[in-house]
Formats: sequence, C-alpha cells, structure tokens
Amino acid sequence: MRQVFRGVLLLLLLLIVFPPPANARDQQPPVVRVGTEGTYPPFSFHDPGTQELTGYDIEVVEAIAAKAGWRLEFVETQWDAIFPALDAGRIDLIANQVSRNDERQAKYGLSSTYTHSRGVVVRRTGDDRVKSIADLKGKTTAQSSTSNWAKVARDAGARVEAVEGFAQAAALLTQGRVDAIVNDNIAVLDYLTTTGSKDVEIAGDAGQAGSEQVLALRKTDTALLAQANQAIEALRADGTLRGISEKYFRADVSVRDGGAADLSQGRGQRSTWDVLRSTAWPMFVGLVKVTIPLTALSFAIGLVLALLVALARISPFRVLSGLARAFISVIRGTPLLLQLFIVFYGLPQIGLKFPPFTAAVVAFSLNVAGYAAEVVRSAILSVPRGQFEAAATIGFGYAQALRRIVLPQAARTAVPPLSNTLLSLLKDTSLGSVVLLTELFRESQLAAAESNEFLALYSFAGLYYWVICVALSAAQKRLETRLNRYVIA
Amino acid sequence: MTDIRIEVSGLHKAFGSLEVLRGIGFTTPRGTSTVLLGPSGSGKTTLLRSLNALDIPDSGVVRIDDVSVDFSLLPPGKAGRATARDLRAQSGMVFQSHNLFPHRTVLQNITEGPVVAQKRPPDEVVAEARVLLDQVGLADRADSYPYQLSGGQQQRVGIARALALKPRVVLFDEPTSALDPELVGEVLSVIRDLAAQGWTMVVVTHEIRFAEQVADQVLFLDGGVIVERGTPERVIGDPQEERTRRFLRRVLEHG
Repeated sequence: MRQVFRGVLLLLLLLIVFPPPANARDQQPPVVRVGTEGTYPPFSFHDPGTQELTGYDIEVVEAIAAKAGWRLEFVETQWDAIFPALDAGRIDLIANQVSRNDERQAKYGLSSTYTHSRGVVVRRTGDDRVKSIADLKGKTTAQSSTSNWAKVARDAGARVEAVEGFAQAAALLTQGRVDAIVNDNIAVLDYLTTTGSKDVEIAGDAGQAGSEQVLALRKTDTALLAQANQAIEALRADGTLRGISEKYFRADVSVRDGGAADLSQGRGQRSTWDVLRSTAWPMFVGLVKVTIPLTALSFAIGLVLALLVALARISPFRVLSGLARAFISVIRGTPLLLQLFIVFYGLPQIGLKFPPFTAAVVAFSLNVAGYAAEVVRSAILSVPRGQFEAAATIGFGYAQALRRIVLPQAARTAVPPLSNTLLSLLKDTSLGSVVLLTELFRESQLAAAESNEFLALYSFAGLYYWVICVALSAAQKRLETRLNRYVIA
Repeated sequence: MTDIRIEVSGLHKAFGSLEVLRGIGFTTPRGTSTVLLGPSGSGKTTLLRSLNALDIPDSGVVRIDDVSVDFSLLPPGKAGRATARDLRAQSGMVFQSHNLFPHRTVLQNITEGPVVAQKRPPDEVVAEARVLLDQVGLADRADSYPYQLSGGQQQRVGIARALALKPRVVLFDEPTSALDPELVGEVLSVIRDLAAQGWTMVVVTHEIRFAEQVADQVLFLDGGVIVERGTPERVIGDPQEERTRRFLRRVLEHG
C-alpha cells in the first residue's frame, strides 16, 4: 500500500515536472489560442443559460476561424493579463475589443478593424461635475489599468483606479468610490439595459473621433495576421460581419458610420435566484476540477519539499542550511501573488514555460514548502533527543530513525499548524484566477460580470470554500485524535 | 582474548575546553558486571556513551568482542558513521529516562530493532519478545502503550528492548535515577537476574548497595580518570583514595 502511494506520488511529481507534450499541435488545422476576458458583455461573456462563451467578438473570431481554417482554443483571463499572456506565448491572438493606438501598433500585429465605436464618459446619474472628458481632470475613474480607455482617462488628467472589468468599474461608480468611467459606448449601453440601472448614465463622448477595435497578435506572427485580415475582409464582403453586428447591436458597427448601436432590447434580466441556480454547477465544477486538485497536489508536493527543506535547515552542513534558510526567507518575505506571477509570466522569459495548472502547482507547492518547512523543523526539534538516541541504539540509521521514530511523533505537533497551512492554501488557490485557471472563484467572477450579482455570487463562492474548510477541519480533528491515542489524555 | 568482552584504552573526550575523559582504560571479562561509580560530572555517563559511540571520543580505542574502533583514526562523514554503527550494534542500552517509543506498543518497542534494523523474521522476534516480557514480569502488557505503564514497568520494557537485540553487552545509564523510590527495587531485581544469567553488563548507578551485590568490578571515576578500581569489597568496602571515601560517605548518607 505504502509502495503504491509512493509510486503514485512519484508519478504525479514527474507529470508536474515533465508535462506530457500537447499532442500533435502541428497537425492540420492549426490551433489558435484566443485570449478573451469572458467578462465583457456583450463582446465576450458567458451565456447565462448555457454557460457557453459567447458575444460579438467571440462570434466574429469564430467566423474568422471558419474562413481561415483554424481550430480555436479560448483562454479566458482578465484584461490586464491578456497582453502579458500574448507576450509569453500562452495565447496567439486577443479578441476582446482591442482599440488601435500607436503604442500597440508599434509593438503588436494588429488586424483590420472589425468594430467602430466611440468612447463615452459615464457618471453617477445627475452628477453635474462630470459633463465631458474635460471634467475628468483631477477626478478618479475606474478602468482596466492597461486598457486604451485607461490611457484616454489618464491623458485627460484623471487618476485611474485599476479594476478587472467593466462590471467592477460600474459597481465602484455606483458605490461612489470613483467619479467616472471611460469606456466603449456599446459596453455601457449593454450594462444599462441588462441591469436596468438608473444609478449611472452616459455624460457625453470621450472626445475622440471614434475608436477602432482590432485583433492583436504577436508582431512576428505575420502569416497568422495575413490569414486573419484576409478572413475579415471576406466576412465584411459577404455580409457576415454585418449580420453578427446587427444580431447584437441592431446596427453595423463593423463599418464606420454604420448607425448607432441600439441595445434597448437587452440580453434580458434574470432574478438573483436564477443567476445563482445557473452558476452553482459551473462553480462546483471549478471547485472539483481545479480548486481541490490544485490544493491537494500543491499540498502533497509542498509537504515533501517542506520536509527536505526542514532537514536541510537542521543539517550540520552550513551551505545546505544556509540555502534552506534563504529559501524560507524569500518565500515568506514575498507575496504569494508575486510568486505566482514570477512562475507564470516571468519564467517563460528564460524559457521555462508551464501550462497554467502546472505553473500554479509549482508556485503553490513552493509557497507551502516555505511555510511548512518551519513547522516541520520545529516539530522535529520538539521530539526529545533521547528518541533519536534510542533509535540509534536499536540499530537505526538517521533515515530510519527519522521515518519510523521521529516523524510519527513530530506529526502530532505538526498537524494543527499544517492544517492552517492547508486551509490557507485552499483559499489562496483563488489567486489561480489570474493565471488563466478557471477555478471556483473565477467562475463566480465570470457570472458576476455578466449579471452584476456581486453580493450573491461571491457569497455563494464563499460558501463553497467554507464548506470544504469545515470538512477539512473535521478531518484534522480526527487525525489529531488518532495521533494522540498514545499520549496521556 | 575471547574472555575479554570489552577492552578500552586511552579514551579522551573534551566538550569544548572541558575535558570529560582523560585517558580511560579498562577491560571487562565476558559474563561479568562492571559498575561505574563517581560524582556527577566525573565522566561516567560519557564513558558509557562512548562504548556505543553515542558520544564520539576524540581519541582512544574501544573494542567490544570482535569490533574494535580507534577513534583517533575514525574517518569523517559516512564511513565514520558506519564504523560507529558497527560498534553500536555490539551493545544494547538502557536509558535513565527509558526513551521508549511512545507511539509503539510495548511489544512493538521490543521488536522494532530486531525486525527493522536486524531484519530478522518477525514471527521469531515476536516469540522471543514475549519470552523477554515474561522474564521482566510484563507478559500481560504486550499491547499497552508506554504511557499506560508505571515508571518501573517502563524501565523493564526498556531492558527487554535492549536484550531483544541479542547484544554482546548491555549498557545501563543510571537505570533507576528517574524512578520513584518504591519502584527502584523491581528494576534492580531484573538487572540482578541478568547478571546471574551471565550477561556482560556495564552499569552507571548511584545505588551503592546494588553495586556491591551485582558488580564483579567497580570503577570509581573522578575528573575524567579512573581513580580506583577493583572488586566491590575493595573499592566500596575498603576504599584507598580520599576522593572515593568522600563520595561514598556522601552517597551512603543519602541512601
């Protein structure tokens, strides 16, 4: 049994370190990985009924793929991670209303325009301080920090509060935490009709002549860009683009001056209960397929690493204990989110690229190792020296003494603090949402962006986490009882 | 040669600037008991722990049966540890604070070494362990955990654990010092039996009366050297050295 367990663990480790090659990526048709927010209705969002990713940009890029003969793989991530993901080669193009501007033109391969729109300034209803883009000077707006709209707002002299998407921005504005939002006319209209909100209104145009939205690719992918442009022109010519646009906006936004978008029909409002009911299952899937495996795997690997680091830390070899000390210090002295970003976005720059799940496992298990190493170390040191000596006198070497005599006793001391580590880890895996992992929390974000039901959805996600934590705490109690059975009550 | 079980010569050991052993030498014939007496800090426990390399002397030679270690030639690292392990395998040890494994039953405490380290057949080891438990009067406590036993019972398990290794010699480090007075007797009586059975033993103790009964040879240590040695009749009954007399007077007043 022990052997089997050890074998499985080894296999898992190997899988983490050497993920199997994505099979035959170069077969026809080529797979194109599309980065999109999935939280930017009506361009990119999840249909509340089917949970499928849909929207204007999604349908456009699907039509392009059909023409160009691509197979699509959608990768959903928040806006501020999209360009880094493109740079790191985790996606091949962005379909998320990327506005054309000079900086992007210089750095990326931008396609032909498939949306013509204009920016608008949104204010709290009746707030006369905000009438036009000129009034933003000295005010605060809420934007995705790397978006073109953020740039427009900054250029107008506004202070930009960074948010993850339009829905969050609208929430901040409604709550009075910011003064205005600069965003796309269509996105704003969609929000207003979908939510029926009377709290915010369009104050006026953002002062630009109009903006053009395009697909963004890596500068070097010239062949892919050529295919995309060819397909877009063909779709424009055969009326497909106009068709998609009219379905969503009752106007043709794929050409300049194609009429004013009309979203008054909206996407339909749903009750909070409906939203929760349709989101409960995807959240559960995120929990079972990502959150729990990520937690379990990271914790198991992290514990093994922690034991090694702890042993290195108490070893008489200076170099070894110094390295262990440095590792612990770095892990505990830097934010987990930063560690995650270093593994996910940083390491690819030196050629170490992991898939999202693997990257998260690497980052989380290293983090667990850093914290648990000190727990394991103090637990080992809490076992009386005489136990080591007694083990030595019955013929045990260091490893045998450790495994059969010291660690089982150290476990008793270590279980309560390690349980804390495990509970923290479970909740910390929500950070996986920023490295393209569709785990529990990310699912709630997706649903919240589409429905604006922040309180209900985040509370519901919290309930899932809490239930798992309660179960883990119960397991901890049982384990402690078991380990205490040979100690005076 | 075969009659001498333990042969120690020129043993030196310092902890930092403190010299604990300063040239110790003695021999123990097979089947005899040697008792180490001396005030605390005299080096007797360090000497005992040198015999199984729990403490590594700086120089000197320890031979037990056919394993001989010259500590001044002990290689560093892995080779040295292996050599120390060879010497350690010659003896069993009974600790002052018994050091039983709290997470193992009485029986498991005894069988752990023979089964896991010596890789002997479990059935055979268990059978032997039950005989040993019977011998120390604990046949009915095989499945108890150490915390369920009295101090004296724990120490008797400790003795059985040492004997189960079938060692050449048994080392006792103040086996009754941590016990309540009324429990001392049962442990000493077990050790007395072992002496009668012909085990070769080295015992560090403060029990002078016990030493008189059980010892074939008494070594009185002070300041890291053997001050006086001989039969208990001579060393305890008629000490020649002032230091020995002073020590005995003090101990006997309390005892």
